[in-house]
Amino acid sequence: MSPSPTDRSARLAELLARTALSDQAAYAELYRLTASHLYAVALRILREPAAAEDVLQEAFVSIWHHAGSYSTAKAKPQTWLTSIVRNRCLDQLRRREPDTVTMTRDEDETEMEFETPGPTAIELLLAGAEANSVRDCVERLDGSQKQAIALAFYQGLSHAELSRHLRQPLGTVKSWVRRGLERLKACLEGAGFGR
Amino acid sequence: MNLSRPDRAPRLDALAAAYALGTLLGRTRRRLDRIAQTDAAVAAAIRGWEWRLAALTEGMPGVTPPIHVWEGIRKRLGLTGEADSPRPGSTRWWTSLSLWRGLALAGFALAFALGILLLAPTAERPFESVVVVLAGPDAKPALVATAERGSRYLTVKAVAAQVPPGRALELWMLPDGRSPVSMGLIPASGIERLALRAPAGALLRDIPALAVSVEPPGGSPTGGPTGPVVYTGRVERIY
Repeated sequence: MSPSPTDRSARLAELLARTALSDQAAYAELYRLTASHLYAVALRILREPAAAEDVLQEAFVSIWHHAGSYSTAKAKPQTWLTSIVRNRCLDQLRRREPDTVTMTRDEDETEMEFETPGPTAIELLLAGAEANSVRDCVERLDGSQKQAIALAFYQGLSHAELSRHLRQPLGTVKSWVRRGLERLKACLEGAGFGR
Repeated sequence: MNLSRPDRAPRLDALAAAYALGTLLGRTRRRLDRIAQTDAAVAAAIRGWEWRLAALTEGMPGVTPPIHVWEGIRKRLGLTGEADSPRPGSTRWWTSLSLWRGLALAGFALAFALGILLLAPTAERPFESVVVVLAGPDAKPALVATAERGSRYLTVKAVAAQVPPGRALELWMLPDGRSPVSMGLIPASGIERLALRAPAGALLRDIPALAVSVEPPGGSPTGGPTGPVVYTGRVERIY
């Protein structure tokens, strides 16, 4: 039987606290409980196992050094950990690209990269929403808003990549993303979530 | 640019959202990063969006990272003490006769496990080309590992696996005449995908069997199995 989300959060918070005190056993346990989730997050954004492994490694080294700063954070432990990994992924992904919005990949390559095994981005968005009882908020988004946000969030696509993938002008996808996020935020806050 | 001014709030919120979503690019991204280091309002706006969005990853299925990731972390941090040390004087279990006798028994379990795969609800299940049924001494399947020949993932489904509290299960390849090679930690319940360093068909070509041992959390500290072996299974190829 898997523990309830609240038990899990309490357990992870305790392990983080002990990690801050240089408790190696707690740190190993923290890795055991969270690495597969965090690796999945990194793998989906970076799409290359070697790059995802590097990020996971860097993230855990940083967690060892900064576990103490968790106590001041007001997020669930898993959310805090996920943010660390996502940020490193996004930094790495953006470093691969030039500052301008020039596309360097050709279309075929981009198409191929979407054939990642496992659930599609939209399925993940809905699965995540379900896990947080905010499914209603996600459901309330337009189909195009939902798709654009899911692709950006789970696969790390930039506006330019979204525009190519969805075959829509840049301005259109930008406004899908912006309006989708605005709606999502309003709805989540209305539901007492995300503050 | 003072983003904290009240009249800039919508602009700040949009930037923070794009930052957290990942659509904010290069220079702008780095600039916002810098501002956030000194401006608490900007930092809070970014954090708010990161948390709002990070919560959406909770339903994602996990993928077990390769074992060398954990080894690399320990090495980089210079961590030496492990909660558990290898058992002194443990025998080289993978050479023992009872293991191979157990494998023969486990072969009977294959038919049963294939039944499970065929009963699975997915109609368009791709043809599995490597199947390993891992069973204990009672020959009852505990875990089923499957992969398509060209895939770099091994799907491990726990059928009836058990792990002592505070310990982890680690999966090993057993090459003929050589020491076991770790494939990573596996779950005691549910389904998980293990990343492989080569396509399954090539990686397992000369591997007659896989085994599962009980290890400290985070996996074996030595690079070889240290705990008792609880499940074994022959690598079956179905082409």
